[in-house]
Amino acid sequence: MAKNEKKNDIGKMTFEEAIKELTSIVGKIEQGQIPLQDSLEQYEKGMVLIKHCRGILQKAEKRIEKIVEEKN
Amino acid sequence: MIGRFGRIITFEMQNKTRIYTVSQVNVLIKVALEESLPPRLIVRGQISDWKHHTSGHCYFSLKDENGILPCVMWASRFKSVKFSPGDGIAVLATGHIDVYTVGGKYQLYVDKLEPEGIGALQLAFEQMYKQLKAEGLFEEKYKKPLPKYPMRIGILTSESGAAVHDIRDSIFNRWPCAKLFLYPVPVQGEGAADEIAAGLRDINRRNEELKLDILIVGRGGGSPEDLWAFNEEVLARAIFDSKIPVISAVGHEVDTTMADLVADARASTPTKAGVTAVPDMQEILGQLTYFEKRLDSTVRTELRLCRESLQTLLASSVFRNPLLPVRDREQQLDDLRTAITDSIRGLLAQALRKVNGSHEKVSKIEPYRLLRGNIVSLQTLEHRVELAMQSILNKANKSFTDKAASLKDAIAGLLADVRKQLQFNREEIARIRPEGVLRKKTVELSAIDGKANAGVKAVINKLQIQLTAQENRLVVLNPRSVLQRGYSITTNKKTGRLVRKLEDVQIGDLLTTELAEEKLVESKVTKKQNRGK
Repeated sequence: MAKNEKKNDIGKMTFEEAIKELTSIVGKIEQGQIPLQDSLEQYEKGMVLIKHCRGILQKAEKRIEKIVEEKN
Repeated sequence: MIGRFGRIITFEMQNKTRIYTVSQVNVLIKVALEESLPPRLIVRGQISDWKHHTSGHCYFSLKDENGILPCVMWASRFKSVKFSPGDGIAVLATGHIDVYTVGGKYQLYVDKLEPEGIGALQLAFEQMYKQLKAEGLFEEKYKKPLPKYPMRIGILTSESGAAVHDIRDSIFNRWPCAKLFLYPVPVQGEGAADEIAAGLRDINRRNEELKLDILIVGRGGGSPEDLWAFNEEVLARAIFDSKIPVISAVGHEVDTTMADLVADARASTPTKAGVTAVPDMQEILGQLTYFEKRLDSTVRTELRLCRESLQTLLASSVFRNPLLPVRDREQQLDDLRTAITDSIRGLLAQALRKVNGSHEKVSKIEPYRLLRGNIVSLQTLEHRVELAMQSILNKANKSFTDKAASLKDAIAGLLADVRKQLQFNREEIARIRPEGVLRKKTVELSAIDGKANAGVKAVINKLQIQLTAQENRLVVLNPRSVLQRGYSITTNKKTGRLVRKLEDVQIGDLLTTELAEEKLVESKVTKKQNRGK
């Protein structure tokens, strides 16, 4: 249940947020300051983040939409 | 014209002492000027007494070293002047001279005003630059940082120009995941700057809903006049006021506009907008792969290290040889026992030697004489030896008992641990209930067995039926079955052959006739004849 929620959270993240989180996870794990169990969890989260980022990057519509002036 | 001129001359000749009204004089001058001056002239001079009236009309003078010429420029004409005229600016003013009869003066009616020397646009640019710079609009501290990964990008440019395609391609080539939103605006001509500025403000107002990360304002190359909209103050201020970061992308590399200076970032041309606005997707994908590798290798290394330290722990003597401490103590105990035995023996030998020594001494010194006293001292001696021995024995005994007790405790503790582990294992086994599993398997097995049996039985039944059918057919074919129907088989007892023909028997031969159900009849031939004869 908690895991699913986490996944949903990541799904809602913007690319910028996801990259930021990912950078912090990589840093944390590389410093080796966290216990093994946590680093495995963080690793898993990192992988989900990478997948999410790739998903955003590969969603290319290459369309240009027109917005017009809103008369009020 | 000539007629009118003629009329004035006539007028003068006829009325030599004529008195004129002010208006008449002014009309005379007006006509005289009209007649003698070119209808349109360009005047060089320096502006002085510059007044821009609230009505929009401009009143000023042009002067040089020797004189001054009053000028007026109507608001409708002034509108197209790009630079800001002011006192001291050298200009070329184009217009015509007329009399302002109300003021009683002639003046230059200016319809075109240009700075002298440099172009009007350049001067205007320099003036605007000075003013906006003084206000701080170009300062670095006001420049908003561009988002690193813009996903929604607004573009303000002409819908029909090439710039929109250039900008689109330059973004999608690098960053195809972005969404582009075009806000069509005119990019040159009267009012273009106002429309672009209004567009910027409109987007900013609606950005709760539009959610644009960044705006690109631009157009392709053109003449300085074509690009002028991007130099106008109204646009510069709208760009400065935008809450959304703005990138300018105007003209060619060499062109610098007010928009470029005030924007948060500048692309030298529309085709460079992508490089300024968005990251390269390949690079970011590479970065993601790099992150993935780093995560992977770090966690792998960490896991390996943990596994190794676990291995080291398991290999330690505590796990390999849990009884080692007990064995050690046992050995220690044995050593102690030996030592105690040895020391007691030594003490006993020593005491014995002492007694023997005393005995010798006693025998040497005329015992009978000294007997009385010596017996007493011997007794005392004996008693002391006894006491000493007793105390030594007691001490040794006590330390032995203490050590034995502590060993016993240690061994008991270890044994309790081992027993607990054993009990745990037993409970584990009990929990698993092997006999239950076995029972279940047996039931499954017998079910399978039952199925197999039924199958075999069915096959046997089928074979049985086939066998019976075959048997019945065989029974029909059996020659002996004919006997059932009343036929019989007759054998000549002498020859042992079947009787088929008349020649097979002789009168007096004994015949054996076999009937059904294995009954035999014996008879004798009495007569031979053909039937019917």
